[in-house]
Amino acid sequence: MEHSLFSKPRDLFLDVVNPKDYVQIDSIAHIYQSLKSSVQKPLKMILLFGRPGTGKSMLLHKLHHDLSKHQKVFMFDIPIVDEDDFLRVLAERIFAYSPRETMTLTRFLEIAEAVSYTDVPIVLLDEAQLYSSSLMEKIRLISDARVIKFVITLHKTDKEEIIAKEHFQTRIWESIELHNATAEELKIYIQKKLLKANCFDVANMFNDKNIKLVASLTKGNFRETNKLLFSLFSLYCWYEENNPALIQYNALKSKWIEMAAIHTGLIHA
Amino acid sequence: MLNIQNLERRWLKYKIKFYAPYILGLIALLTLLIAVTYSKKSDTDEAKESIASPSKSTHEASSTVLEPSMDFVRSFQTTLPMNETPKAPLQKNAQPVREPLPVAKLVSTPPPDLSDEKSFSLNRTESKLDIETLERRFKETSNANLGLFIARYHYDHGNYSEAYNFALKTNSISNKIEESWIIFAKSLVKLGRAEQAKKTLQFYITDSNSEAARSLLDTIERGTFK
Ligand SMILES: Nc1ncnc2c1ncn2[C@@H]1O[C@H](COP(=O)(O)OP(=O)(O)OP(=O)(O)O)[C@@H](O)[C@H]1O
Ligand SMILES: [Mg+2]
Repeated sequence: MEHSLFSKPRDLFLDVVNPKDYVQIDSIAHIYQSLKSSVQKPLKMILLFGRPGTGKSMLLHKLHHDLSKHQKVFMFDIPIVDEDDFLRVLAERIFAYSPRETMTLTRFLEIAEAVSYTDVPIVLLDEAQLYSSSLMEKIRLISDARVIKFVITLHKTDKEEIIAKEHFQTRIWESIELHNATAEELKIYIQKKLLKANCFDVANMFNDKNIKLVASLTKGNFRETNKLLFSLFSLYCWYEENNPALIQYNALKSKWIEMAAIHTGLIHA
Repeated sequence: MLNIQNLERRWLKYKIKFYAPYILGLIALLTLLIAVTYSKKSDTDEAKESIASPSKSTHEASSTVLEPSMDFVRSFQTTLPMNETPKAPLQKNAQPVREPLPVAKLVSTPPPDLSDEKSFSLNRTESKLDIETLERRFKETSNANLGLFIARYHYDHGNYSEAYNFALKTNSISNKIEESWIIFAKSLVKLGRAEQAKKTLQFYITDSNSEAARSLLDTIERGTFK
């Protein structure tokens, strides 16, 4: 199983976020550039939003990875939903201050003033939809005091769009929206991923019909695509071991793509 | 993990379901064709049906028999004038059956089931619902960090079997998260399975050289773990 042709491509599509796996696609590269330049502007908070699986966390991790070479930047990928904890952890990590007392906002700002870095530290908050509105308000006040520059991600669903509007569509926010990929972009995504890992033979198995089917099943969503391809290659691993004669090496089988889609729930059957 | 036979079966079912409307359309088409040729050709039957008005000519009779079949055609929602030849509706009725098909059946992604998340972000008291929302998200995202978050939450709340479960899941997503291994081992001890905890830690230490794991193993062995 481990020297299977398909186990490596399968593992490529595990749904994990690692900046080293970042794939450059034109539209994302564009967004990333504007994100990077926004970060250097003072005052404004940056909001990355979009539906689940559109690559917000990936972009945030990439930003963290790139910025941390030159400046103070802190990633919070697990939301700290308790308000006291939040300020305490922030003070601890950014200003190396671990207090015994409960941390109020005023106290926090005092500490920040006392430390006063020349460059405003950048804090990256993933999954901000998990933060309460009162905590969001505190974050805004900290940002207003120019003590910390925040970049946050928020995943929106139809319902959450309303909250997103209320909280974030004010002028203090610079919002950047991420979308699902087009079929063309998805093709680039899949191929780049496979090629980067030297899975040339498997990359060659994708024809345009395969890509179209994948794109129509996943609607160009990165996470759905990852899940679909992970189970597709798991399927290929199984057939390779149990019935190799069925495998064609010149194209992917639509049937197996659909079976994988049934497995991941993209097709209800 | 993959049940290929089951998947094959479900795929077949899906394909049948997918093509069923086409097949039904085809059957309807054939039925119609037969009905029409039947009504046109079998004069004897028509004569029987027009017993009520025996004076009618065979020509008139055939036009009265045609009407019900036109209603049938209309039920397929074609907008054909009444006196058109029956051949035209035959070709047309295939389309309305075909039209609504491809997208609707094929791309039915699950709806974003995040209806609770709104209430989560507004009402973040440590209620049961919140962690359930997170667990659902974890199921959806397989985000190891979220798995760790949930494992830690359960450990802190004394739900050691849940903590054990989520740490286990987290480790299977990423076996490089030290804290997840620690929670996993600590939960095992709490669940009265110290031996297994020790084994797990020993295994993890050889793999990672983790200092934290080593000191935890120490406290367990000395019996000072609480
Ligand atoms: N540019 C990219 N290059 C490589 N992989 C990517 C890229 N964008 C997204 N992915 C992959 O797609 C998957 C989903 O992306 P990500 O987790 O960033 O989505 P998200 O928008 O943060 O979703 P959520 O709202 O659920 O948190 C991840 O497995 C990630 O690795
Ligand atoms: Mg994310």
